[in-house]
Amino acid sequence: MKREIFCGLVLALISCILTSCSSSTAGGRYWGKTEPPKENVLRYISGSEPESLDPQIPTGQPEARILMALYDGLVEYHPKTMAPIPAIAESWEISPDGTEFIFYLRKNAKFSNGDPITAKDFVYTFRRGLSPELAAQNAYLAYEIKYAQAYNSREAFVKDKDGNFLLKKDFFEDTKASKSESDKTSTFGPDTEFHRFINSPERLTVPLDEKTREAFFKKNPKIKEAVEGKELVPVRAEDIGVEAIDDYTLRLKLALPAPYFLDLLAHQFFRVVNQRVIEKFGKEWTKPENIVTSGAFKLAIHRPYDVIVVVKNPTYWDAENVSLDRIEFYPSEEQTTSMNLYKAGSVDAIYNHTVPASWIEEMRKFKDEYLDHPEVAIEYYTFNVTKPPMNDIRVRKAFALAVDRFALSKFRKTTKPLVDFTPEGIFPQYEAARKRVYEELLKEYKIPVEEWEKRYFNPAKACQLMREAGYQVRDKENGRCEVLNFPADEVSVTYNTSESNKAVAEFMQAQWKQNLGITVQLRNMEWKTFLPTRKALDYKGMARAGWVGDYMDPNTFLKLFYGPDNDSSTGWYDPKFDRMLDEANSETDPEKRFELLARAEFYMLQAQPVIPLQTQATNWIKKPYVKGLYPNPGTLHAWKFVYIERDPAKWDRDVDNIMKESDPIIEEKIARLMQTQIEFEKRKKAGA
Amino acid sequence: MLYFIIRRLLIIIPTALLVVSVTWLLIRLAPGNFYTGEKKLPPAIEENIKKKYGLDKSMGEQYLMMIKNVLSGDFGDSLKYQGQSVNEIIRRHLPYSATIGILAYLLALIVGLTAGILAALKQNSLLDYTSMAIAMLGISIPNFVLGPILVIIFALGLYILPPARWGGISNLILPVVTLSAIYAAYIARLTRAGMLEILRSDFIRTARAKGLDEKTILLRHALRGGIIPVVSFTGPALAHLLAGTVVVEKIFAIPGLGNIFIQSVLNRDEPLILGIVAFLSILIMVFNLLVDISYGFLDPRIRYS
Repeated sequence: MKREIFCGLVLALISCILTSCSSSTAGGRYWGKTEPPKENVLRYISGSEPESLDPQIPTGQPEARILMALYDGLVEYHPKTMAPIPAIAESWEISPDGTEFIFYLRKNAKFSNGDPITAKDFVYTFRRGLSPELAAQNAYLAYEIKYAQAYNSREAFVKDKDGNFLLKKDFFEDTKASKSESDKTSTFGPDTEFHRFINSPERLTVPLDEKTREAFFKKNPKIKEAVEGKELVPVRAEDIGVEAIDDYTLRLKLALPAPYFLDLLAHQFFRVVNQRVIEKFGKEWTKPENIVTSGAFKLAIHRPYDVIVVVKNPTYWDAENVSLDRIEFYPSEEQTTSMNLYKAGSVDAIYNHTVPASWIEEMRKFKDEYLDHPEVAIEYYTFNVTKPPMNDIRVRKAFALAVDRFALSKFRKTTKPLVDFTPEGIFPQYEAARKRVYEELLKEYKIPVEEWEKRYFNPAKACQLMREAGYQVRDKENGRCEVLNFPADEVSVTYNTSESNKAVAEFMQAQWKQNLGITVQLRNMEWKTFLPTRKALDYKGMARAGWVGDYMDPNTFLKLFYGPDNDSSTGWYDPKFDRMLDEANSETDPEKRFELLARAEFYMLQAQPVIPLQTQATNWIKKPYVKGLYPNPGTLHAWKFVYIERDPAKWDRDVDNIMKESDPIIEEKIARLMQTQIEFEKRKKAGA
Repeated sequence: MLYFIIRRLLIIIPTALLVVSVTWLLIRLAPGNFYTGEKKLPPAIEENIKKKYGLDKSMGEQYLMMIKNVLSGDFGDSLKYQGQSVNEIIRRHLPYSATIGILAYLLALIVGLTAGILAALKQNSLLDYTSMAIAMLGISIPNFVLGPILVIIFALGLYILPPARWGGISNLILPVVTLSAIYAAYIARLTRAGMLEILRSDFIRTARAKGLDEKTILLRHALRGGIIPVVSFTGPALAHLLAGTVVVEKIFAIPGLGNIFIQSVLNRDEPLILGIVAFLSILIMVFNLLVDISYGFLDPRIRYS
């Protein structure tokens, strides 16, 4: 009798678990509890606990999102396209040679303590970010600014006895001596002493530290001779190409033309910080009781690992445009916990890449909530082009063609197939230009169109290339083959340990086995061991790689192959590619520039130093009543546009189309912000 | 007794130093650094970072610096979380773990002792079998299974308790129950076994023969001896509970010390790892000492010289 009661209880418990599982997933338009919060608040799971609330320190996306709420920059990301839209700068212009930018700041911008934000604050922010003492990992983002790299790397100018500085162009005749160097007098904006200095021909800089300098001299003996006996003048913060012409006009000078630099300026690294507060409190300045911020929201509560609460900042210049009263960021990286909180209705959205792989199929059914859109991030495999057999371009091409990229995407569930090096579906104008250019180039290179179209997967061509490379090839059905005498021992795929990397590697392994009859080995390494191994080319054959764009321009991908000591981890280098990239970036007409970039991309891919595999896709969920939170290419949200919609009729439907549908409330806000820049350009045109 | 305590306290210091040194060595042997990330750093920036954190000095110098810090009780600043000192981080996150830990401990004691004593008194009854079966279940189900099951039922099925995060009392229920389950189960079994042994011993028979009433026998004589195994189990257990339990803190997103500890290892945040390791080892040694001392009070047969 009593045993029966016990059994009954156990059964009841089990059935309760099962029903609560199934009742939640079966039926119902939305996943879990879906009710807008009573207050005007967004509760967002933001990922790892931020390293710091100092915008110039952290490098991760989770921090970037929180810092975007707290700080404002010269420009802000467009919530959908991430193109720069006016923020503290209400308008700007770029010099004809593309190396100078002038920003006109709005006069009503204030810090959260009421201090006005002026051009001097930006000068301070830029100099601080680049100071070697701060040791910011993101400092490289500002290296385009003239002398910024030299200052950040503790370098010095070289002065001779007559007080003249040695010039860079006398020692480097290669690509780097740019065209802009030749025009001695720039008339862009008012003439100032600093402007004359920063526009004078670029000075030579050498490392201050003796050991580094010796190494530098070893590579450049000519410079060693010239520098000997001369005075070294350290590059100071005041020497970098950032100038406050007056309180509300800021001028930047770049070392080389970099049209994409404007896109970069919305990055948190360039968002303005308050000098007085930082100098007063030192490293304690980001504590809730000390912190002063510049963005649409200000910090209210920071309980590490628990919550960061930011509230609407009444002193913000655009406060009327800010819809939310409060955002609560919950730092949690535990995917299941995040999903549970979402389902229980305790949070309204979760940061990117959080739906566990095994749940994706299930979550896809919730069409109003699951966001799968292309990202400005790619995954690819590198070839070690310095070692046989991968030093043979035909073998590299064969390996690239023998992988069915559509099958890979299908297998991966969220990614899109990729065959070029820049992500697909992210830069529409660039892709249009590239299509035009590729048509021309196909004729030039005499590549048949049907072969070109099959470059996503073409086993027959792969087999033919292997034959051409001198291997014995036995044909099999469907264009597949078996390469008989391939040194498979010399080829492996090295990847950093992770479930998904392993799955991709095994997929690739199966593809090559099936289509070329070659079995490559797989080697996995812990992340922090893998990075130095790949960098030093200590791998055989291939290694896994991924890249997330720093800014919204193809250059952020193509520059990986720039320079003899480039970041591609392939060993590939071609000065012609560098020249093509330089030429493209000196072009001020955006359309022509894209065409030139596309040529460079085509040229690099002809050498196949990498196998592009897939464009990454966003993978997160949000409640349908959260509006203005878009799956843009970086999943970086300009929070001031986000609002809570209480009318279920206006909730987001079928979010696969969210980027195409227009939201009048948000469009209107953006149009209002763009007005200042449009008017400025009109005036300029009328003036000219 | 006093001599014993002083001697044990003195041993704690070199032991903690040894633990910290081994940990330091292990961190240094592990590849990678707190700043290694997806994107390759330009060498100049890496130099700047090394200079800033004194990583450009020799290993010997760095080790001595570390030992000096540990001896002074100041572990310096976290490498990952800029502007936060290790001591501040431990101080800030200990209360979360301690709250959950103490509540779970109390719950485990109440449930475990009651169940154990009742089971021992009514040996071989249905009550005994049921409570011991549940205890066996509690020991066998790991908390990373129990936690999610409780969440599915109470947070996602019935929507009556929050699924995670720190907050009000309702947020405490699930993590405390999850955490205490296994301890309650152990305590119940240990109490039952201890009590059964004591109840059969000679001095209890003597007490009964003297005509003492059952209540006095049970509470004054049997329980004191019967819970000695429980004490030696719960002493270190309390130290663990106080210092944070990784799994439960992860499942319920509790900002406790266990959560921080795991993150610090993943981040290769050396000062923070060392700080927490030192703190934990000292805590455990102190609790072990307390347990040893308490034996003397509980059982007149144990004496320290």
